[in-house]
Parts: sequence; structure tokens; C-alpha cells
Amino acid sequence: MTDNRTSLAILSDQLADAAATAGQSIVAVHARPRLPSTGIYWQEGVVVTTDGTVRRDSDITVTLADGRKLPATLAGRDRRTDLAVLRVSADSLPTARLGDPASLKPGHLVLALARLGEGGPRVSFGAVSAVGGRWRCWKGGEIDRLLQSNLTLYPGFGGGPLVDATGQIHGINSGGLSRAFATTIPVETVNRTVRQLLERGYVARGWLGAAMQPVRFNPVAQRRLGLESDSGLVILSVESDGPAASAGLLVGDVIVKLGGQPIEDVEDLVDALSRTDVVGRTFDLDLVRGGERVKADVLIGERPRRSA
Amino acid sequence: MAGFSDQRSWAAWCAPAERLRSSVAQIVTGTNGNGGIGAAIAWTDGGLFITSAHVIRSPRMAMVTPDGRRVPGELVWQERRRDVALVRAPGAAMPPVRTADPSVLRPGSLVMAIGHPFGLVDAVSTGVLQSVGELPLEFDFEGRSLRWVQADVRLGPGNSGGPLADADGRVIGVAAMIVAGMALAVPAPEVEALLASNR
Repeated sequence: MTDNRTSLAILSDQLADAAATAGQSIVAVHARPRLPSTGIYWQEGVVVTTDGTVRRDSDITVTLADGRKLPATLAGRDRRTDLAVLRVSADSLPTARLGDPASLKPGHLVLALARLGEGGPRVSFGAVSAVGGRWRCWKGGEIDRLLQSNLTLYPGFGGGPLVDATGQIHGINSGGLSRAFATTIPVETVNRTVRQLLERGYVARGWLGAAMQPVRFNPVAQRRLGLESDSGLVILSVESDGPAASAGLLVGDVIVKLGGQPIEDVEDLVDALSRTDVVGRTFDLDLVRGGERVKADVLIGERPRRSA
Repeated sequence: MAGFSDQRSWAAWCAPAERLRSSVAQIVTGTNGNGGIGAAIAWTDGGLFITSAHVIRSPRMAMVTPDGRRVPGELVWQERRRDVALVRAPGAAMPPVRTADPSVLRPGSLVMAIGHPFGLVDAVSTGVLQSVGELPLEFDFEGRSLRWVQADVRLGPGNSGGPLADADGRVIGVAAMIVAGMALAVPAPEVEALLASNR
């Protein structure tokens, strides 16, 4: 019984160690009225938090673990993945020790951390509930893997890290991506989004410059053309000087594949164009034109931004 | 995590909880609980119990012991502002708890609560310590400027007056309320100080 009590005390100590380790690189972000949110010192000079908790573009400060309060500037934000990146000159602050989210399985013990100002990190405790592959969240962003837990995200916990029992950080918790479970934006998604936000201040999305709608082939045509699927996207209009126009696409062409992947409805195309780093790359396009199959190369453009 | 791979180790969760449960009574006030139901902690030998002042809404009260006996109790004193009350029930014959200072625990340390949420008698819930002290300015409620043990542990009505304990089963606070989903408990040293000043 002495052994049993000791092992529970050891687990308790390990969890507190994990919180203390990860807590060193956790900051409070003051970018909204009332309660601050949490941010992570992700790399030298860079704090990452959730987009939803950054309510103003200037007059932002962060509070570090040692109580110092420093000014921060907004480097960029991406509403679709719910991430925002701040620049901070905080020398001597340790950067986040990142883990590999692929190593987490349902049932693993995890912590959520927050910092609400001066004083220690705040902690909530739970287990990984679900893991899975790539998905697109309701805000439209492509998330590299599903990572959900039963952690309670108390007020101010948004933007804080998911921490494993050894103190490694596996991603950023968002209160805005799902209601039922706490959802974590995994390290991979954060890394590529941070890279883009630091480079250009926003995340570029792919663009074809054509209006389309789904269309169905009759079984005879499908068989004659050797199509795997009975549907594709028919082009209704082509914007002049857009990527579709440059690729020579015509009104009435039916797109059936992009980069070898079947395109059966609008969702498939949006998924493909939302992928990372598609902008500026050339893909082969499989089309049906005038009852014949043809191929074209298309250089994916960047979707024009509404408020640039 | 080494040490938690077999059945015997999982029993580690149960041993301190089991011992703590033997020191937690159900307090029923008024006629058949119409004055309020909560938990009470056997704090010292001689049948002295600590509970939450807000649980007591009638001078008539009884303790229901873990072995199911119902014994009468009487209010000795209460501090409404700190939400702590002392009740004497000499017939209860329950072992007193051990206490500990929560301010030596670090955030993330395991904690457990025992109470009777939603009428579920002697329910154990587990979680971790968040902080000990005042709440941040942004939390606007009466008592914000008091010191609280703040924990990530799920409480319900009926946990009031029950213990919040560390991984060794030592009581670090008296469960008082839920604010923004967080469990707030009166730190054990403040309960000791009230006991000393009311002696």
C-alpha cells in the first residue's frame, strides 16, 4: 500500500514537472478586452496563439513566465486554421519543446496549459480522446491530423499548448474549432502556417480563376471515355488572365482529375486548392472536351484577397 | 509511464480515496434536507466537522456517516464571508482527516474531491491543481479577492463542504463553489486559522 501511494505521488510529481517544463515557454497574450489568452514562444522571437483570441491588430502585449510584460506586433493571422503569429523580442526565453503528435494515442494522459498574467501556469488534465488523419475544419483550414481530448479549456486557455506527460508540446488548443471536445492544432499545421505568416503575413490559397458546377455523365459516355467516376466539374466561366485561362481551359470543359486525384464535386476541388504550398505549382488536369478526353497543365495561382 | 502498467498500480488511485471517504459525512439540514445537503469533513477527534456555511440554511441538522448511521449535529460557529462552518456531531465516531498546505503543491499536481454531487453519495472526482491564491481581476464575483485553491476537477451541487485532497489523500481545501467551471476550495491553512481564532 505504501508502494501504491508512492506511485500516485510520483505520477502527480511527473505531471507537475511536465507543467513546469512546458510552462517556461508559455506567455499571456493581451490582445482582447478583459481576460488575456495564452500563447506559446514557438521559435526565437515568435509567439503563436489562436486567431479567435486576438481581437485587435495593435497595442498587443505579452506577459512572460518571469513576469516581464513586453510589446508584441501582429505578424499575421489565418482565420481558417485559427492561428495568429506575433513577433516579440524576448531574449533568454526558452522556445517550446515540440513533440511528435503522431506518437499520441487515445488514452494518453495530457495537460492543457494557460497563463493569465503573472504567477504560475494554469493546468487542466485529461486524456487524448481521438486521433485521426488530415481533416478540414469548419473554418475552412486544412488540419494535418485530428487530435482531440477531454481537456476542459477554461477561459483564457485558448491558444495554449497540449502537453504530454514528459512536458513536450504537441500543438495549440483551440476553443473555436469544435464544441464537444477540445481540439488541438497539431505541430505540423502550426509550423507550416507560421512559416507562411512570417513570410507574407497571410496564408496563400490556391486559385483556378474559373466558375464551375458539378455535372453527371450518362453511363454510356462514362464507359466510352473510360472514366472511373460518373461526375466532374463543368466550367461555366473563365476569368481572363487567370490560371484557367492561361492553361487554355474553355467554357464547357469538364474537369475530372487534378494532379491525378479524382474531382467529383466542388468539395474535392476546394480540398485540393486548400492544400499547403499548391500556389505556384503546376498540376496536370484531366478534362473532357467535346466528348473526348484531353490533358492540360495548370499553374495554380493565388486566390485574390478581399482586403489586401 | 512506469509504475502504472498493472492492476495493482491502478489501485494506487483507490487507496487514498478510500481512506478519505471514511472521513467524509453527508450533512442534511432542515427537515429531510429541505435546508440543504452537502458534505462535511471529520476535522478533529471528538466529532468536530468542517463544512461550507452556505450548506447550512436551518438550525436543525444531521450527519449521515459513511456506514449509514444518522446522528444529530449542532452548529458551533460559521464564517459566512469565508463560507466555512464548524458542526459538532460527537456520535459520528469518524476518523479525522490529515491536512496539508496547498501552496507547496505545483500546478499540475493531482487532486481529488469527495462529495455527494447530484445526490450521488461519496463520489470521487479527480483532476489537477491550477493555482492557489486570488483569482485574476477579470473574474468578477464576490470573494474574488479571497485566497482560493483553484482546481481543474469536476464538482456538482452536493460537493460543497467536502474535501479537496492531494495525491496522498491529505485535505488541502474545503470545496466551496464553481466559478467559470473551475473548482474553488477554501485553503486548509485558512480553515485551521479560523478554528484557532474561534477557539
